Amino acid sequence: MQYSSIHEWITFTDLMSNPYVPFDTYNLPFDIGYRLWEILGGLIAWLVNLIWPGNPISIWLVDEQVLVLFGLILFMVIIFLVAFVVCLLVLWMERKVMGRMMDRRGTMIGLKGFMQCVGDGFKTFMKENTIPTKVDKMTYIWCVSLIVGLSCLVACMIPLSYRWYVVDYDSGLLIIMAFFALAPFLILVSGWAQNNKYSLIGGMRAAELMISYEVPMLIIIATVSLMAGSFNIGDIIYFQNEHLWNIVPMCIGAVVFFACAVAEAERVPFDIAEAEAELVEGWQTEYAGMKWGLIMLGDYLRGTVSCGMFTILFLGGWTLPFIGDASQWAYLPIPELVFLLKNFLVFFFMILTRCALARVRTDQILNIGWKVFMPLAVVNLMIVVLLKDGGVF
Amino acid sequence: MAMKYLDKYPKNLAKSGWVLKPLVTVLRLFAKTATRKPVTVLYPYEKEWIPDNYRGRPGLRFDKCVGCGMCVRMCPTACIKLVEVADDDGKMVMRPQVNLGRCAMCGYCAEYCPVDAMTVTPEYELAEYTRFDLIYGPRRLHYEGTTEGMEVKLEVTLPSDIENGNPERRVSLFDLDRPELIDNKCIGCKKCAKVCPVDAIEMVEKGVNDKGRPILRPIIDNGKCISCKNCVLDCPKDALVIKEVL
Amino acid sequence: MTDSIVPIKEIEENMEKMDTDKMWVIMGPQHPFSHGLWTLKVQLDGEIVTDAEPIVGYLHRGWEKETENREYPKIIPMADRLCYAASMTYTHLYCMTVEKALGIDIPEKAKYIRIVADEVCRIQSHLMWLAAVGTDLGNLTVFLWCMREREYFLDLNVKLCGARMTTNYPRIGGVRNDTTDLFDRDILRTVDRFEKALWDIIYLIDDSSIFVSRMKGISILTREQVANVGLTGPAMRGCGVDFDIRRDDPYDNYDKVDFEVPVLTAGDSYSRYMIRVEEMFQSCDIIRQAVQKVKALGKNAPYRIKTPSKVPAGTTFTRLEDPRGESLMYLVSDGTDRPWRLKVRSPIFVNVSSAKLQSVGTRIADVPAVLAQIDMCLGETDR
Repeated sequence: MQYSSIHEWITFTDLMSNPYVPFDTYNLPFDIGYRLWEILGGLIAWLVNLIWPGNPISIWLVDEQVLVLFGLILFMVIIFLVAFVVCLLVLWMERKVMGRMMDRRGTMIGLKGFMQCVGDGFKTFMKENTIPTKVDKMTYIWCVSLIVGLSCLVACMIPLSYRWYVVDYDSGLLIIMAFFALAPFLILVSGWAQNNKYSLIGGMRAAELMISYEVPMLIIIATVSLMAGSFNIGDIIYFQNEHLWNIVPMCIGAVVFFACAVAEAERVPFDIAEAEAELVEGWQTEYAGMKWGLIMLGDYLRGTVSCGMFTILFLGGWTLPFIGDASQWAYLPIPELVFLLKNFLVFFFMILTRCALARVRTDQILNIGWKVFMPLAVVNLMIVVLLKDGGVF
Repeated sequence: MAMKYLDKYPKNLAKSGWVLKPLVTVLRLFAKTATRKPVTVLYPYEKEWIPDNYRGRPGLRFDKCVGCGMCVRMCPTACIKLVEVADDDGKMVMRPQVNLGRCAMCGYCAEYCPVDAMTVTPEYELAEYTRFDLIYGPRRLHYEGTTEGMEVKLEVTLPSDIENGNPERRVSLFDLDRPELIDNKCIGCKKCAKVCPVDAIEMVEKGVNDKGRPILRPIIDNGKCISCKNCVLDCPKDALVIKEVL
Repeated sequence: MTDSIVPIKEIEENMEKMDTDKMWVIMGPQHPFSHGLWTLKVQLDGEIVTDAEPIVGYLHRGWEKETENREYPKIIPMADRLCYAASMTYTHLYCMTVEKALGIDIPEKAKYIRIVADEVCRIQSHLMWLAAVGTDLGNLTVFLWCMREREYFLDLNVKLCGARMTTNYPRIGGVRNDTTDLFDRDILRTVDRFEKALWDIIYLIDDSSIFVSRMKGISILTREQVANVGLTGPAMRGCGVDFDIRRDDPYDNYDKVDFEVPVLTAGDSYSRYMIRVEEMFQSCDIIRQAVQKVKALGKNAPYRIKTPSKVPAGTTFTRLEDPRGESLMYLVSDGTDRPWRLKVRSPIFVNVSSAKLQSVGTRIADVPAVLAQIDMCLGETDR
């Protein structure tokens, strides 16, 4: 073939007309990745073709299947970048809002303090990679990767809108919760691996914490899906949009879920695994430099996931009353922004609890979990059953 | 008088919603600081107001100083030393030099200075790159904006005055105590006259001794004396003692 | 449970035979819970503390020996450094000791100014303690709010004598300088403003069931235990001992101001906390009264009298109610201008010996919360 113009390589065909696209519905980040690859791959193909006209690589690069392949790679990058930037924003928000709540200014470096997060990231990156001699080396290192990896995975799996998702199938909520609950096991393992008494106690406490909040949390999730009749995130959100946000009929459940979400993200008042007053840094004591920085990143990713779960389950996700999911203005990123703003609102309340409350004791968290949260969750379930049975929903 | 806090607490917290009140309190402060500014003073850019009597590094008014060494003796950390420097006329005089690396900013040098040449200054940013730079010579100790308020007056009331029903009279500690000569111990060595920083001591001949040499005895000019005790401390025969007026 | 592979009875038997070692955890000297340099070794059975041993002495500077080579006035700035948070009371105590040895009576105005300075010092010391309680229980807001309030009292110190923390203010025979212009106006405003702000901090702690449940009912001490271990100060009054040197053995005109001594009988960590908070309110009242008295004495009243530089030979002993407890100085003078021996009894050195008593039976999470009530200050403990 003889090619005269680059326009023939970059065509911007309709995404859904490509038979190899793995999504059933329109997916915005994939569309962005697909088009990016059309530009990038088309440019490369055109350049290569200018040198060796009619070569097979150029043809392969703009093949329909290859476009999907590279589109998916770029899609993953985009999804992660957005999750990462949201995490940084949340970190910045925590520092600023916490500063104001404590009558101080918070971070001050660049862009109202935002660049401090970037600077801290670089700082941890520059630190020496130290590994204590007596730790179990493999577990010690792999636990960090697994904790951070799992957190990233879950953070990426939270959908931002009906068109911004990774997977969209009927047990999506369960998958997210399953991955979300894996990290405390790794905390226990890494606490053991560090060969340090503080870390050991911290790891044990993480397990203790998990058995106390996980059950009421799962009961509430089951209640929500009972309400919506589905484990699909989209179904839950559109059910809320159709009837009423879940926070109104399930206000008890919302409070309990909020507390459990705080515990899941290991934040004050439930940060007993890294209680810095008595256990120096808890299970993170022996981690320094970049490893510690990654753990902090994982912590904040989990914080955003907790907020995202709360938004999905109780605040109607990306929908707004009267507007719905704003699909009539599909060219505007309204649903994504609505979702993120709701996320930040929930995170604001997390910061508020962190500022106002103290850390609970280990036996108290067990008491609260089993004697307060659990009955409340069951009461919540009963209310929902009554509402369902009474035909209100 | 009643207890202000113990009358109200401990409370039944179930009535106030367990953790609701702290959340509201924090939220209220957030609303306040989000609209107005927090109390933080952005230190290197803004500074707090400090009064004149703020005890920063010591300052020295070179012309007023007589070089008596009272500050050297009163310094609890021994960071002051008398060094020889040329004054404005080129004459060599003794003036204090302060090692700020050891200074405790107690303000004793300013307080005990008989002529109020040493002052406190509101200067507190004293970081230097080397320890040597922290040693402030007499000229460097000078502080530009020295005011009246930076002098520390050592004014006391005499117990005898209080007994006499005159408690409002305040005198400087250095106006009263004067050295006194024990005549039979003095050997007339003139050392006191040499060390006196204000030339208040004059050696006067008082007849001749058995060998026909003149007998010298110090005469102290009470008007000039600042009761710095240099003569008392340097007397080789302890012939001078300070007489404390109480 | 009949399906269980191992019979339950067998598991129970094995549990008894199981060799569960107790674990020593060393907290300190570089530990977030030890405010200063000290170590607490705790023996843990699971999470429960079974034994504890405080180790102090990292900050020993030979204070008492060093005083023997100094003239009396030169020891005043050193007494400041005994405890950075309670510098005013230690200087006051030292000056009182020497005055007693000299047998002189200081002017009324100096006495009242000393009361004002002492109570300002008490409030700022208690605020620092409250800040530490906040961080030990895992809340940073309390810390920063308390430190914000403390700053106003440090500003008062600057206004009064020119220094923030190591004030070097009382002198043998009075105080360093008269109150400065508008000091009485400033201090009354600060105290009024502080009382309002303190309620906010109280809402944050006493109205939060998490804070209260962390302190209530743990580490209960009885009156007998308190007497045996020699605990003094607010911690002692929280355990039901009604004794305050300011009221029961008054020094420097404390008998002429009207105040209450809070006493609680519960003896737990929370009551020890409450005593200190109430003491801050009482200190505000004392300040108001003392400032009025200072004002009434007029501007020209004597505030410092001349004292002889040599102290007659003999032994003197004075005590005073420090923010942390009962501090005491014992002076042996030999007729020269330097002390022959100066012994300090610091309250914390004795109070910290109750660490084992307080922490045994609690959980490791409670150890910082309980020992925060001691209000550690290592400067005076190790001297």
